[in-house]
Amino acid sequence: MGVVKAHSRVRSSGPGTGVLPLLPFFIFTSFFLLWPIVAVTLRSLHGNENEWTLANYRPILKSGPYFHAFVVSIKLSLVTSIIGSILGAFFAYVIVKYARGKFEAVIDSISAVFANSGGVPLAFMFVAAFGVEGIVTTTLKSLGWDIYAGHFTIFSFTGVVMVYSFFQIPLMVLVFKPAIAGLRREWEEASTSLGASSLTYWRRVGIPILFPSFIGAFFLLFAGGFSAYATARALTVGTVPLVPIIIGTLVDGNVISDQANLGDALAVGMIVVATIAMAGYIWAQRKTAKWRSS
Amino acid sequence: MKKFTLKWPLISIASSFAFLTFVVPLYGAALYSFRGEGGKGHSWVNYQWLIHADGFYLNLFTSLKLAVLAGVLNLLLMVPTMVYLNLKGQKFKSLIDFLCILPLIIPVVSLAIGAQVAMPEFLQNSEYELVFFFVIIALPYTYRALDTSLQTVALKTLVEASRSLGATWTRTIIRVIVPAIRGGITGALFLTFALSIGEYTITSLLHWETFPTWTVVAAQQNILGAIAISVFSFVGAIALLSIIALFSKKGARQVEVDE
Repeated sequence: MGVVKAHSRVRSSGPGTGVLPLLPFFIFTSFFLLWPIVAVTLRSLHGNENEWTLANYRPILKSGPYFHAFVVSIKLSLVTSIIGSILGAFFAYVIVKYARGKFEAVIDSISAVFANSGGVPLAFMFVAAFGVEGIVTTTLKSLGWDIYAGHFTIFSFTGVVMVYSFFQIPLMVLVFKPAIAGLRREWEEASTSLGASSLTYWRRVGIPILFPSFIGAFFLLFAGGFSAYATARALTVGTVPLVPIIIGTLVDGNVISDQANLGDALAVGMIVVATIAMAGYIWAQRKTAKWRSS
Repeated sequence: MKKFTLKWPLISIASSFAFLTFVVPLYGAALYSFRGEGGKGHSWVNYQWLIHADGFYLNLFTSLKLAVLAGVLNLLLMVPTMVYLNLKGQKFKSLIDFLCILPLIIPVVSLAIGAQVAMPEFLQNSEYELVFFFVIIALPYTYRALDTSLQTVALKTLVEASRSLGATWTRTIIRVIVPAIRGGITGALFLTFALSIGEYTITSLLHWETFPTWTVVAAQQNILGAIAISVFSFVGAIALLSIIALFSKKGARQVEVDE
């Protein structure tokens, strides 16, 4: 930090003084990020007659369809982020370790596409592959395994878990790769030269260093899964009750509630759940930063 | 030596798993999309339908346009911000950290509803309002990409050298810092572009029509066509980003060697 101060004293002119260079960023985020959040929160606290009230939150807190939607949403995000973080970490390791140059660049862009494909195409792709008439389904059937023999359908909870894993795993790869890449070779060399085996290195050095990043990434995946909208919307058409889907139907006016601002309260409820998850992420980030700086 | 014994088993497990989870569904969908009339034989009929469908080019163009604008706006906003932050904005670091993580905390659905409540009329009446929200959604990823690559370069030394040789700040950023963090910039651009081109949630909740929302509507007429669109957008996006990646890696190599 001392070095930094010395620098700023040398160059007192130029765009490097005070808060000014950061102003565009602050204005942008205040207007397009903070203001909408404040606005939706305020409106969620108003009733049909524009009076202040907490009534919009009541349907979420007592058992019923809205409460149930939160339970299902949270369960879905938990399951998919566990699957995604474990498998994604494995992929990230293999990629960092063995993929080189152009190949790595291509894998990066494929991960980016898949990770951000929590969208409509994904849903249709899975229908084509795993739907009743899907290619994978019919192939497996001809091999003697009817995946539709049990309760499975692509439109069920299990189906949504499969589809979500499709973007959770690559997202983990993207998020976790830098952490693995940040493991310095010197650490492994140092530990080996002190007589540690590869296993000991991982147990005593590698995993403890990566663990905060891993937990952080897990929470990130959780929040992502919890907020995902497009895939579930296109895939389930409401067969799996998820909070974002219900908000969507309220906004589109497909479902009319006698409480005009119920959707706002659901939106704020989602913010609350996601905030709890992200508090875990931020906590883990701090731990990671401590490692990096020390 | 030990690494060599582990290398191929690990690679084969990873590749076969990746094959099963990612290639098979994509391949399945691709096969499906080549089905002919009445599900018989193979043909391009679904792709022909796709290209001739009402609104295909229009919406594809809209999505590309918005994605490019979002990518450019994102870099214009974030590169100077991140450079300044890493140089001497330390006291704002935690605040900016927080603001950049916020779009991940706030579910996009909630942000969309907030936007509906908060945005002024003139913005709500223009599809360009989406560009701003695409930038917001991409913020966490941009931040990470730029921050990681800024931390790997000796930023202060570079700036000091450049400034002491008489370069202006603008010149320093464009000629010295940008090339040094090219990897991060490309990453940021990728992510913004990919996020924007496939963005559905905000777009549909704000009742705009782009390529993804058009797909959902088109799917109701022709599910095979919709699957064709999905394959088209996946393969298209991967091809596009891979080309950009390969192209930019070439330029970045010089810098990587220097490190």
